[in-house]
Amino acid sequence: MEEQHIASAFDRDLEAMQAQIMKMGGLVEAAIMEAAGALESRDEELAKKVQENDVAIDGLEEIIDAEAARVIALRSPTASDLRLILSVMKIASNLERIGDYAKNIAKRTHVLAQTGHVLDSGPALRRMAREVELMLKDALDAHVQRDAELARDVINRDLGVDQMYNAMFREFLTYMMENAQNITPCMHLHFIAKNIERMGDHVTAIAEQVVYVVAGEKPTDERVKGDTTSSPQEA
Amino acid sequence: MNDMQFTDRAVDQKETKIAAHGVNVHYGEAHAIKDVNVEIEDKTVTAFIGPSGCGKSTFLRCLNRMNDTIDICNVTGNILLDGEDIYDKRVDPVQLRAKVGMVFQKPNPFPKTIYDNVAYGPRIHGLAKNKADMDEIVEKALRRGAIWDEVKDRLDKPGTGLSGGQQQRLCIARAVATEPEVLLMDEPCSALDPIATAQVEELIDELRTQYSVVIVTHSMQQAARVSQKTAFFHLGTLVEFGHTGQIFTNPEDPRTESYITGRIG
Repeated sequence: MEEQHIASAFDRDLEAMQAQIMKMGGLVEAAIMEAAGALESRDEELAKKVQENDVAIDGLEEIIDAEAARVIALRSPTASDLRLILSVMKIASNLERIGDYAKNIAKRTHVLAQTGHVLDSGPALRRMAREVELMLKDALDAHVQRDAELARDVINRDLGVDQMYNAMFREFLTYMMENAQNITPCMHLHFIAKNIERMGDHVTAIAEQVVYVVAGEKPTDERVKGDTTSSPQEA
Repeated sequence: MNDMQFTDRAVDQKETKIAAHGVNVHYGEAHAIKDVNVEIEDKTVTAFIGPSGCGKSTFLRCLNRMNDTIDICNVTGNILLDGEDIYDKRVDPVQLRAKVGMVFQKPNPFPKTIYDNVAYGPRIHGLAKNKADMDEIVEKALRRGAIWDEVKDRLDKPGTGLSGGQQQRLCIARAVATEPEVLLMDEPCSALDPIATAQVEELIDELRTQYSVVIVTHSMQQAARVSQKTAFFHLGTLVEFGHTGQIFTNPEDPRTESYITGRIG
């Protein structure tokens, strides 16, 4: 809706909520890249920072939820306004989960730094994290610009993330079969890869919310699922 | 959008009660209603919303020929009640209005006792054989109007002595006393406080188990609360008609969207 509300304070409320989402999104994007960077360079200081910064992400989710509840109570939003507020709440919840995954990567970074292993999956994991971060950036831009096309593009790109995860899953499996010493670091690295893959799913959920805001319906076309590691033939 | 109706009370039938086809209304030169087609279901609350002067009250008044009383008003097109044209020459408007009752914006009890307010309609339509019969009709109507307990000990007192909310429920009781099939309500709560409004809304929900209710309201939240179907009028045309849940979450027409979200449009 390009038009302004007759009650201009309503527009300001909605804009403020959108701004909070962008702020939260910025923090989460940073958390993803810092977590991946800390992992690659075994930088425990940076990992610690990621863990600490998660508090701010959680706090923003609470602020956004409280603001959404207030606007619903005071303004009785309808139609696209209602969809926007519902989407903001869901997006905040998805961002919070992504933040948790980044925090978990940071935690495992400490363990990996102490195991002193020689496996070098850092660059691959960072590429995967980079792709998820770009998808998140596009999903949030699509939300601000009400761009359903861009959101659908993000949804389709999750397939690439899933495929990266599949490849890493096989790689870790091979390492573990080669040498039992690899099991501990590989288990952690696998959880990290899985965390990034799950981040991609949450970004997809955010993009689906954008489609809902714009079109009034969630995308109906069945998405191709790229994570095949839970299928029997992979085991 | 069927999933949006999961809180709706199950009703057995959703037959068309009133069907309007190609309805146009002119007040002299002014074209107030432009080619409106709509089917109003039985046992359903249908809300008419739209900005002032959009024609929603005019259209409502066509449904029981209240516009007949305005000389310069000219209604064309078909309005069928149970398949019969209500503008047919053989239809007696007084009989029609017994079937299609009406409640107005401002509570307007007759300057008579509470009892006589309700008994007036059944009396002129000869619905009661004797006093006991009439007592029963009056009690039943007052109960249906959700006001019996408040007035049963003062039926001989003037209806005008009641509070605004009670007066409006008395008017609803008066409207249902003639056993109408359709109840038209033109802003029934705009003169009432929130408690009385809630009582009337609860009553509307009760009434819909038996009648087809059509309500004109300026309160979009009221339309959202009480109705199952919503019609949005703008500049004399029916812009959008659909399930209330859909209209308020995902309307199809940008004009509906602008209006219900409180934007200039």
